[in-house]
Amino acid sequence: MPLIIKDEYPEKLFREDGKRLDGRDKHELRPIKMEVGVLKNADGSAYLEWGNNKIFCAVYGPRDVHPHYLAKPDKGILRVFYRMATFSVFDRKRPAPGRREKEISMVLGDCLEPLLFLELYPGNSFEVFINVMDADGGTRCACVTAAALALADAGVPMRSLVTAVAVGKIDGELVTDLSGIEDKAGDADLPCAITWFNEEISLLQFDGSMDLKEFDEVLTLAKNALIKIHEIQLNTLKNKYIAIQEEYSGGENKK
Amino acid sequence: MENEEDESIEETTTDNDEGEEIAEFDGEEISREVVVPGEVLTEDTKNFLPGRGTILNKDRTKIISLNIGLKQINKNYINVIPLKGFYTPRAGDKVIALVTDKNPVKYRLDINAKDEGILKPKNTVKRNRTRGFRGGGSDSAAPSTDKYQIGDILIVKVLSADRLNQPELTTVGQYLGKRRDGIVISINPPKIPRVIGRNGSMIKMLKNLTKSNIFVTQNGRIWLKGENIAYERLLIDAIKKIEREAHTVGLTDRISEYIDNEKKIRGIN
Repeated sequence: MPLIIKDEYPEKLFREDGKRLDGRDKHELRPIKMEVGVLKNADGSAYLEWGNNKIFCAVYGPRDVHPHYLAKPDKGILRVFYRMATFSVFDRKRPAPGRREKEISMVLGDCLEPLLFLELYPGNSFEVFINVMDADGGTRCACVTAAALALADAGVPMRSLVTAVAVGKIDGELVTDLSGIEDKAGDADLPCAITWFNEEISLLQFDGSMDLKEFDEVLTLAKNALIKIHEIQLNTLKNKYIAIQEEYSGGENKK
Repeated sequence: MENEEDESIEETTTDNDEGEEIAEFDGEEISREVVVPGEVLTEDTKNFLPGRGTILNKDRTKIISLNIGLKQINKNYINVIPLKGFYTPRAGDKVIALVTDKNPVKYRLDINAKDEGILKPKNTVKRNRTRGFRGGGSDSAAPSTDKYQIGDILIVKVLSADRLNQPELTTVGQYLGKRRDGIVISINPPKIPRVIGRNGSMIKMLKNLTKSNIFVTQNGRIWLKGENIAYERLLIDAIKKIEREAHTVGLTDRISEYIDNEKKIRGIN
């Protein structure tokens, strides 16, 4: 018998004490946990837990392009494969890539491309495989963050990292880091990503309604959150090596 | 008929091959500071120039890192020594290769780079006569690709390599040719200079303590052959340890201690 889950959303997205449904403040992020080098056979890999989102990311490259007609003679290409596991959402997700997955793969590719020196690898490709094991709102932002980590872990020369977060409006109030239910029932949802070498926006999608003044305001909120997440990214990458250093230096080389 | 003369390779010391690479990694002046892509190394662009693994930002006010690696200041250049990466072939490198395909015209070799290497049969035999000599020698037929089989392990030298074309290889030269025995292991290519050590100190130590022959190549592959399997296992464990701890201080002494300890534990001497 199929399991039926009613598609009902709560009327209010704020509790009576002014906090959000999961107990967060308006501008509080969900807990984030990152790890690099988790997959043995990939050139670089990352695992990200962002609230209830659980994401694995693997990077391979530079290597030959298959099918070969995709290769470009003057520059390398970046291919991103965003996939959701069948068990990642309430209803079983059909495993074949659908319209949504193809769109997100393209969006993520465009977001990551400015970081890389693709002109140095003509006829070759970098491939980023992202698998969402558990989804609860804002997976595309989490995927950008994880993919940047995995690329850096693979030793691919990069201009900088890229970080993404979703901001939006629920019940008329501007909030940071929307969860799944706020994403669906809220007024507006705006995922955005920043590349840190020029501090330019690399991903910006918008769904809902918001006036221009709020739009400016919400981008400022996003920037503040992105700085915090970027800090976690940097520490994750460094700690993989610093942990080994401290094991042997006896703390004398602590930075 | 097998050509014996250039295949009976003497496994002698190989440490003088990679002289230039060593200084980059194993210097005392390297700070053990780990940097990540996009990190600002310095804002003083008047006194410092961007070296390897670094780039100036657009308005030329900052030097930023491109790799995850160790920051190094060499005179007025700022370099970043990568901790992870891939092998890019350069002319003159000696690398361990695996024959993956062959046809009557050429071999294709896996050299752990982004492109497969090409080995032409004319580069597998020594040219004894001067070019253009028409003495009517008995073996004047063009060399064919019968010499090596798919699956063979070869040590080859890179003749030419660039960004666009597949690298061309040769098996003519000292230490080059087919390997019939031993074990090939693979590590991350940027860690290779640490396995060699400053002026070959690490590799000499490994050879003496484990009584083994080692051939280290720039593409991250290491050929080794010991007296028995126990020594080979110990050596592989030691190399894996070097790979893991490549960015720490006092590595040679620590590995030497580790091998001595492990010898007692494993009961070999």
